[in-house]
Amino acid sequence: MNSSMTITDQMTSKKPDAELKRRVLRKIGEHKPYSCYQCIKCTSGCPSMKMLELKPHEIVALAKAGFIDELLNSGIIWTCAICLKCKERCPQAVAPVDLIMALRNLAVDKEAKVPESFLQSLSMILECGHISRPQPTITRKLEKIDREKLVLPKFKESDERFKATFMKALESRTEGESQH
Amino acid sequence: MKTAVYWGCVIPTMQYSYEMSIREIMPHLDVDLVDLDNASCCGTPVQSVNMVAAVYLAARNVAIAERMGFADLLAVCNGCHLSLFEAAHFLRYDEKLREQVQRLLKEEDLQYSGKMKIWHTIDFLHDMIGEEAIKKAVTHPLNGLKLAVHYGCHILRPSSIGTVDDPENPRKLDDLIEWLGAKSIPYPEKLDCCGAMLMLSHPDAAFTFTGLKLKAVQELGVDAFVDSCPSCQNMFDVRQKSAAATTGAKLNMPVIYYAQLLGLAMGIPQEKLGLNLNRSPIDEFLQKALVH
Repeated sequence: MNSSMTITDQMTSKKPDAELKRRVLRKIGEHKPYSCYQCIKCTSGCPSMKMLELKPHEIVALAKAGFIDELLNSGIIWTCAICLKCKERCPQAVAPVDLIMALRNLAVDKEAKVPESFLQSLSMILECGHISRPQPTITRKLEKIDREKLVLPKFKESDERFKATFMKALESRTEGESQH
Repeated sequence: MKTAVYWGCVIPTMQYSYEMSIREIMPHLDVDLVDLDNASCCGTPVQSVNMVAAVYLAARNVAIAERMGFADLLAVCNGCHLSLFEAAHFLRYDEKLREQVQRLLKEEDLQYSGKMKIWHTIDFLHDMIGEEAIKKAVTHPLNGLKLAVHYGCHILRPSSIGTVDDPENPRKLDDLIEWLGAKSIPYPEKLDCCGAMLMLSHPDAAFTFTGLKLKAVQELGVDAFVDSCPSCQNMFDVRQKSAAATTGAKLNMPVIYYAQLLGLAMGIPQEKLGLNLNRSPIDEFLQKALVH
């Protein structure tokens, strides 16, 4: 892309990144951000807007303009509660939440700012097939109790074959264009 | 009727009362549950990290149910239900992703056809079991109780891929409650999110979501708050004190799974429904429910 054709971020003097933009948009359908006419229906129904100032319509606009690095490093993409109201209500089927998830995936690929706990779930799945092993719990009367005492069937951990395949899956990247 | 059941991660490792109550109520409705062999995570926690791996995990569990010869799969957790539904959608329309996932499944001699019918507790009870059978199973009707319901985001949206109920005006859980003789009280915050998915990055915001919804429900003057998702229950029930501390609200709202409520109405003993595991103050509610 001819850089003289693009806008400049007045705060950082940075130019948009066309290649990164293509990588993100391929994951959600390249036309999608272009269907957005900034009606702000997504942001007005967004619960994270009230609490954490997430503005889904701005995310769409920034992605359309190509400011992907800025989005990946701002931390704002991790404020989405994935309630899916924006996807349900968007009159243009843009689905800002899908864009946010695509940006999160890219942030992981590029080793940008990713909350540690997201990666911890991964290592647990690699270890036992689930995000956790059975946790001991307590009753309302504060007695310690576990699956065995509750006469629940024994919890089975995943075998080596699964772990090896999941490892392979984690190395895969999207090849095609997802049809959300 | 034999049905495959998929528990996911949160239920068999933390939310034991949901598993116990589902295992108790289903035989009363002539449903014989069969656990999946070697099941794993549904992929929801991996979606933020790697969408391909997430879809693979979802498809894997469905493929296991296929290999076991089932046509119906009951995914009792909202997060798992959405993950399996989304995967079905992606795999139907994205040929390259389908090839990628089938290649991975082959490593465990699994195959995904996409023909599995995926159910959640709410539509399974409402549509598959139905009003007549549920009313017939009720021996201790909950007449006179006033309840508020919480569906949870992930069984309602996005309707573009098919959901359990209407995305903006769901009724099935309300119906299920009314079939037990209780009354479901409508309220404006009914569709509000519990915040669970923010626990990994912004726990204070998550507790604020939870606290604000519980406060609104408490102001309705209902006897209890009814949900059907382990992650929502984890917020509204287990984390109620943190939600109260974060929002500065005085919360003492009894929170109970629909499966536990149905079990009570069927006359199943409390301990078998895991009712001693709910952390919210439900004792007074239980006394009231058992009088009926």
